[in-house]
Amino acid sequence: MKLALGAVPAAIMLAAAGTAALLAQRVLSAGVLAAILLGVCLSASGRARALYLFGALFTGLTVLVVSPFLWSGGGTVLFSGPIVPVLGPVDLTTDEIELAALNGLRLTALGLAFSAYALLLDHDQLVAAAGFARRSALAVALATRLVPTLERDAAGLAEAVRGRGLTMRGVRAHARLLSPLVAGSLERAWNLAEAMEARGYGQAGATRAPRPAWTRVDRIAVASSVPIVVAGLLWL
Amino acid sequence: MALARIRDLTFAYPDAPPALREVSLEVGAGERIALLGPSGSGKSTLLRALAGLVPHFHGGRFEGHVEVDGRDTRRVRPAELAGTIASVFQDPEDQVVMARVENEVTFGLENVGTGPDEIRPRAQEALRSVDASHLAGRKVAELSGGELQRICLASALALRPQLLLLDEPTSQLDPRAADLFLEGLGRLDATIVLSEQRVGRALEFADRVLFLDRGRLLLDAGVDDAIRWLGRHRPRYLEARASTSSAPPASIPLLTMAGVGFAYRPGLPVLAGAELEIRLGEVVTLEGPNGCGKTTLAKIAAGLLEPQLGTVFRTGTAGYLSQDPGRYMVCEHVVDEVALAVGGDRQRAVAALEQVDLAWAAGRHPRDLSSGERERLGLAAVAVAQPDLLILDEPTRGVDPDRKAAIGRWLLGYARAGRGVLVATHDRTFVADRRISLAPPKEALVAA
Repeated sequence: MKLALGAVPAAIMLAAAGTAALLAQRVLSAGVLAAILLGVCLSASGRARALYLFGALFTGLTVLVVSPFLWSGGGTVLFSGPIVPVLGPVDLTTDEIELAALNGLRLTALGLAFSAYALLLDHDQLVAAAGFARRSALAVALATRLVPTLERDAAGLAEAVRGRGLTMRGVRAHARLLSPLVAGSLERAWNLAEAMEARGYGQAGATRAPRPAWTRVDRIAVASSVPIVVAGLLWL
Repeated sequence: MALARIRDLTFAYPDAPPALREVSLEVGAGERIALLGPSGSGKSTLLRALAGLVPHFHGGRFEGHVEVDGRDTRRVRPAELAGTIASVFQDPEDQVVMARVENEVTFGLENVGTGPDEIRPRAQEALRSVDASHLAGRKVAELSGGELQRICLASALALRPQLLLLDEPTSQLDPRAADLFLEGLGRLDATIVLSEQRVGRALEFADRVLFLDRGRLLLDAGVDDAIRWLGRHRPRYLEARASTSSAPPASIPLLTMAGVGFAYRPGLPVLAGAELEIRLGEVVTLEGPNGCGKTTLAKIAAGLLEPQLGTVFRTGTAGYLSQDPGRYMVCEHVVDEVALAVGGDRQRAVAALEQVDLAWAAGRHPRDLSSGERERLGLAAVAVAQPDLLILDEPTRGVDPDRKAAIGRWLLGYARAGRGVLVATHDRTFVADRRISLAPPKEALVAA
């Protein structure tokens, strides 16, 4: 999908939506924000989309399922279990479920905002727009690119193992690939750092290629991000 | 006047034996130098020394003196030499910083402080010079390995360097693309040092040849003298085509593929109606330009992909060697990596390592090996289980001619022992009984 917004205004809008979701006090408000962000993410294409969506939705679902058992609240008791040391009484009440749903949706919305940033935004534009913090912006952009790279490397490692006539079944077999995956990404990072050094990165007196000015839509988007956060704080 | 001077350079990476030993040479302005030598002979290290990356980036023990454009590389950071020197490394995927092609080319220009108004025009000019203007707006993640190599070269050329250092820059290109790549280099004014394992092309391109072996500079001569020297001391480096055994393979088919079709994305078929037969006792190469579907067909033959159309009949087991040797580094030691496929049988693993001349590295970590050595490790890791059909995807990338010939001989023996070998490759010199092209003409019998 070609985003009509520039990368910086779009990033600001996504940050505002994520912040509003964190500030929201109602399940419905957080749910609506998560649904909007899910719609934005679904407009992305490619294999990486499924990975990001799984990450965001799984995290939110985990909070929804686990947190009611870790927190004791009021409301109607739906289930009463034993008292577990450290955790306390393992019961389930309507208030606990409501709070778990709210926190789960907040986290899901935040995860989806990050997914939209990773999947849809032109990270080069963000790096170019970063003034004094260009190194940090570049580090974030490179780290964001790590997720699809790791996914591809993991698939490649698993395929190479299968190509040797071995089967890849179960968590243990896949967990064995974790260490080479990390080592591979470290080696890749080392090679990239070497290439960046050779290309003059970090020299004093660096310049910037001219970049297009913000459009009217960009300015409106940035301006509207403030009311989104305020709305999250006061009304959602 | 010399653009670069190396005097008595001896260098060792941390905790490793010397990669370069007492190397001395001068590089004159405008020279085209082919840097040849076996895998792990120190070619990449020599290029790194000229770029100042050795010792600054890697550490290690450095003795001697390297000077580029009048500057001592020990006193200036590699980043300060950028612009005067530009490097293109072996693996294009590991040197890409930005997400879009044009921004990737402008990255270096911005770093060296090029005037803002000059940056875009110079990037466009560099892309034009490698015939990649049409890629300017593309995401680098969407490019093929060959396209990516051209973008890396464009990024280097945009800097208008005095000294261009190229480390096996055509390793992922098909023969035609590699020819075009070197033809493009021939039009440049810069001094070029080109490390290559495709020796024929390198000799056509160069006016001077260096030959390294075990870190020592054995030859520094003009092309004619170098060809004579290679003929005497390294005849494999001059062979245009490997010979093949005349023993006729049996006619029993190991693998039969008929009408095979496959598409990664709907409507964009990579393979349509592909036919392939591998018979007992033969080595078959699968050739064709970048993107013609060699790897896909090889994976289907190995059973790693299911065809969407057509039929595949295979008798016995199949082993598949990926074209990325970085995928054969699951274990901490080379011997264990190879033993993985045979239930940890180290004796068999060592025997397989001996076949690819890597027994000496059995106790080392796979990541300590050079790119050519990693390629051979992958081959041993797959072949150790002795599958009935051995399928290899670009097994000679970064492998020197001597070892390539040895691997070819070994594969012939492997096939003749009652198995079959399929090799997807750009390398026309690779030993084979039959060559099958995915682009017409379909098949040519070599051993007739």
